[in-house]
Amino acid sequence: MNAIEFNHVNKSFGSFAIEDLNLTVPTGTICGLVGENGAGKSTSIKLLLNALRPDSGTIQVLGMDTCDPAYVAVKNDIGVVLDDAWLPETITAKQVGSIMADTYINWDSALYESYLTRFSLPRDKKFKDFSRGMRMKLSIAVALSHDPKLLVLDEATAGLDPIVRDEVVELFNEFTREETHSILISSHILSDLEKLCDYIAFIHEGRLLFCEEKDRLLEEYAIFVGTTEQADSLLPEAIVHREGNGLGGVRAMVRRSQVPATLTLEKPTMEDIILNLVKGAKRS
Amino acid sequence: MKALLKKDFYVLWNSMKALLLLIVIFSLIPSGFQNVFAVLYAAMLPYSALAYDERSHWDQMAAAMPYSTRDIIRSKYVLGWITSAGAFLFSTMIQLVVRSYLKMPTPVSLLFVSMCISWAIIAITLPFMFRWGVEKARLTMVLIIALVCGAAGALTSIATMSVAIGGDKIPCPLIVGAPVAAIVINLISMPLSEKWYERRK
Repeated sequence: MNAIEFNHVNKSFGSFAIEDLNLTVPTGTICGLVGENGAGKSTSIKLLLNALRPDSGTIQVLGMDTCDPAYVAVKNDIGVVLDDAWLPETITAKQVGSIMADTYINWDSALYESYLTRFSLPRDKKFKDFSRGMRMKLSIAVALSHDPKLLVLDEATAGLDPIVRDEVVELFNEFTREETHSILISSHILSDLEKLCDYIAFIHEGRLLFCEEKDRLLEEYAIFVGTTEQADSLLPEAIVHREGNGLGGVRAMVRRSQVPATLTLEKPTMEDIILNLVKGAKRS
Repeated sequence: MKALLKKDFYVLWNSMKALLLLIVIFSLIPSGFQNVFAVLYAAMLPYSALAYDERSHWDQMAAAMPYSTRDIIRSKYVLGWITSAGAFLFSTMIQLVVRSYLKMPTPVSLLFVSMCISWAIIAITLPFMFRWGVEKARLTMVLIIALVCGAAGALTSIATMSVAIGGDKIPCPLIVGAPVAAIVINLISMPLSEKWYERRK
């Protein structure tokens, strides 16, 4: 069974539209959703939470159609961290725990308390006095404290300092050690995605350009650094994006299989791949 | 729904103690108009809760949680019914004590009809809030204030006139008709709110 399936989903807002979105996240995997601001990542997440209705197409989450009234019960198995913790400003972490205990069937108060301790979150401080990092940590504590099978994370690591971010990424990694657990994560912090993800889905201007295994992407693409003449000798389809390297030469992301073996290529990071794909997509 | 009500009560208690105190003060004064206003004023609390929800983008969080649209909508109605009924009971009990000391009759029927009118005001105005949000439905807020003040004035006038012509404080048809009307209007209003809220998706 797939954890998430978007089938030919369309949603229009006039000037912006999600077009024919087909995306599958197999159970037990972590899929990273990347793209520029306004590419459609958060809209896709809202669609899968049924906060927005698709104009056409279907979305299935944990085997249930999101438009089915019974989908509400499935949300007991989904932990969600949005780009900010949208909780009422005047309530405290302790009160959040009390509300969530009446919200989720599988709410584990002891586990929630342990996350509050682990993240050093004050129990009686009003939410409006929390820093952004604290807000996100509280949101993560809520998402993990009701035994979810699927985590949906929209910029969940934004605003966290590197040490806590690393700890949170490790928490997410721990979460997927269970075979039935899956994660869909959208993030601008591509190094986090590189550490976490099995699959990378790339959305550009409301269209899914690809959804590939991360390792295959790292194998498929490479970084070429050389002279302009060497770059000009490459097949046009071999080059995803090229730019000056600041030293009179060229730095380009290329398709490894279409570059002669005589040229030396560097291993790219996920950040290299995504940035070059975005720039390449804009150029075309 | 229990979780949603609990959330609203936490929000109202933590952020609106001054306004809740107003209800207490109005309930304490041995004046029909002030007591009626205390009960009608309680009908405005769901709008305050909605405004706080909107300010904190709670709807986005709620969409991610196992709350149905029906629960989200009905929790605000139930909140309004509870706060109005609470204000009615509180005001009545306080006035029973204060007026027995002053040897004045307690306006129980007047306060009961006020509670029914509170429920009707909630039912008339909430669908607009769910359709456009508190921020956009400012005109509805004007309507709410007009309804609250108008109803308070009208009810106390009816009570005064009724006594002047030798009758009871509140005419019997009004005591029977007010709860029936409030229930009917609420039964029509709730599905309408659900429909309009769904349209926002």
